[in-house]
Amino acid sequence: MANYKIQSWIIFGVLAVLTSLYFSNLYAASIVSSVAIAALLAGSLRFVMLIGELNFAIAAFVGIGAYSAGVATTMLDISFFLAIILSGIVACIISVIFGSITLRSGGPYFLLIGFAFTEAMRIMFSKMEVLGKTSGMIGIFPPLWLDDWLSLSAVIICLILLFALYAIEKSQFGIILRSIRDNPDVTRTVGVNVLYWKVACFSVASFCAGVAGALQAFSNNVISPGDFSYLLAVFVLAYVKVGGESSIAGSILGAVFLVLLGEFALSMGAGEHIFYGSAIVIAVLFMREGIIGIVFSVIGRIRITRTAKESRA
Amino acid sequence: MELLLQLIVTTLQISAVYILFSLGLTLIFGVMQIVNFAHGHYFAISALITVYFMPWLVAAGFPAAGAYILSGAFGVLVAALLGLATYYFGFRYFQRDMVGSFILSVGFVLLFDGLFLELFGGAARSVPSLVEGTVSAFGVYITGQRLLLCAAAVSTAFILYLILMKTKLGLALRAVSIDQEAAMLQGIPYNKIALAGFMLAAVLAGIAGALIAPVSIVTPAIGADYIVKGFIAVIIGGLGSIPGAIVGALFVAVIEAFGGYYYGASTATVATFFLVIVFLLFRPKGLFGNG
Repeated sequence: MANYKIQSWIIFGVLAVLTSLYFSNLYAASIVSSVAIAALLAGSLRFVMLIGELNFAIAAFVGIGAYSAGVATTMLDISFFLAIILSGIVACIISVIFGSITLRSGGPYFLLIGFAFTEAMRIMFSKMEVLGKTSGMIGIFPPLWLDDWLSLSAVIICLILLFALYAIEKSQFGIILRSIRDNPDVTRTVGVNVLYWKVACFSVASFCAGVAGALQAFSNNVISPGDFSYLLAVFVLAYVKVGGESSIAGSILGAVFLVLLGEFALSMGAGEHIFYGSAIVIAVLFMREGIIGIVFSVIGRIRITRTAKESRA
Repeated sequence: MELLLQLIVTTLQISAVYILFSLGLTLIFGVMQIVNFAHGHYFAISALITVYFMPWLVAAGFPAAGAYILSGAFGVLVAALLGLATYYFGFRYFQRDMVGSFILSVGFVLLFDGLFLELFGGAARSVPSLVEGTVSAFGVYITGQRLLLCAAAVSTAFILYLILMKTKLGLALRAVSIDQEAAMLQGIPYNKIALAGFMLAAVLAGIAGALIAPVSIVTPAIGADYIVKGFIAVIIGGLGSIPGAIVGALFVAVIEAFGGYYYGASTATVATFFLVIVFLLFRPKGLFGNG
């Protein structure tokens, strides 16, 4: 039986829920939702990294989720929670088709085609009459009774999905994914259908990306094609790299840290591009394991000195 | 018939710049196994500097052609320096690490995007025309300026092809891209060759930028469009393959010229993407790719 670290998750979950309850004014609540969405996206991007692939199509799937939610709410009158699940499913279905073609070669091909897919989807959003062309869609409101609780529901949904990603990573599924990353050929020789599991991994991650997109649509009420350019994927990558990709806690930490710091830096008038760009360069060059790596090494050092003292005593 | 010829000429014009671009990308990938998204910014800085300095030199009394050559050469030099800086402080540590180098290059992309915007401002610029008049043959019209630049791009691509195929440096570059360890066993100094390949690619991007400056509207974001097209070209041709990069660039240019004429530019871009997806169905590693 895998160790799911239930205690840490419960503490973290309670803290997150309390935070979202504490910040009730509109601006703070919107920051809480964007932190939660960013954390979910970071978890999704990192999940595909488990098979050693970098998923730059994530921005496209966020966009697909957001537009699905927009269509479901403003045109089809589908209820809030159903619309969110539906957005995830739409993203998931498209990702299965996309993944089963592009993941056959993987590596740089998958990465670059994902990038091109993001750009192609962005152009398609801005060309389609139904989706409001370049001005996008407006009036994507959650139901009235939920208005005050939107950031709380966003936090809870993101927590559930993040825990699901964590649980999958710790299960047999996760072991297969990591073995594919370490050596796909050896994995194939023991009878694992590598492509099948890669696509499964990619579709789970894309489901999360779609849900994150829907949450973003509901929390901003307005979406436009420009929100889903490749820059979105770059920002998510920054969360994962700065936080540290060795564990899901790192990705969450990176998302929280960078979104809050970014909000602060933007209020100081710094350019968003320069801020995120230098964050990525510094993280990649000087702290390969990210913030979580530093945290772990500090904890490790404390443990070593403690055991050293105990053994001396 | 005349329309067809006109479109073919347009294709050749577009493809000349794409070829320079995708040759650089495939060269870097082949030698160092890195995916460099900042490549578009070597191109952009060169175009920006050309556009910035040429009117200034013209105002100082230089003839237009002299001013263009001087400012273009300065642009290429700055592009090369930028390439050297990114290599020395970054990519040097990420050879053969595709994901790591890509993430680093994306960081550079954001950083340079912001810096260029601060330095040059967001306004679109263009330069005074170099050569007046149009050339017409068989009912096809092309401005003298474009013809000249097209010729320059084609000859640059040809010179690069000769360097890669006929010189010792080219032989070493190709050897390293086929099998790095075997090449090192033969006494090829890998680090020197990697730097040479990287700089060659950066200079190519710089030349492409200086060439595109007079015939296009230059903004700090000009690199982004070309990098996407360049990478699509390289994917079609197969990463690391030199003939593949040329064929891929031609393919992208054909879709852009013909599709753009009949259905509009953005439809052509989306079509390029879907055609690449269909293409990958049959050739997952591109036309000439094997690794």
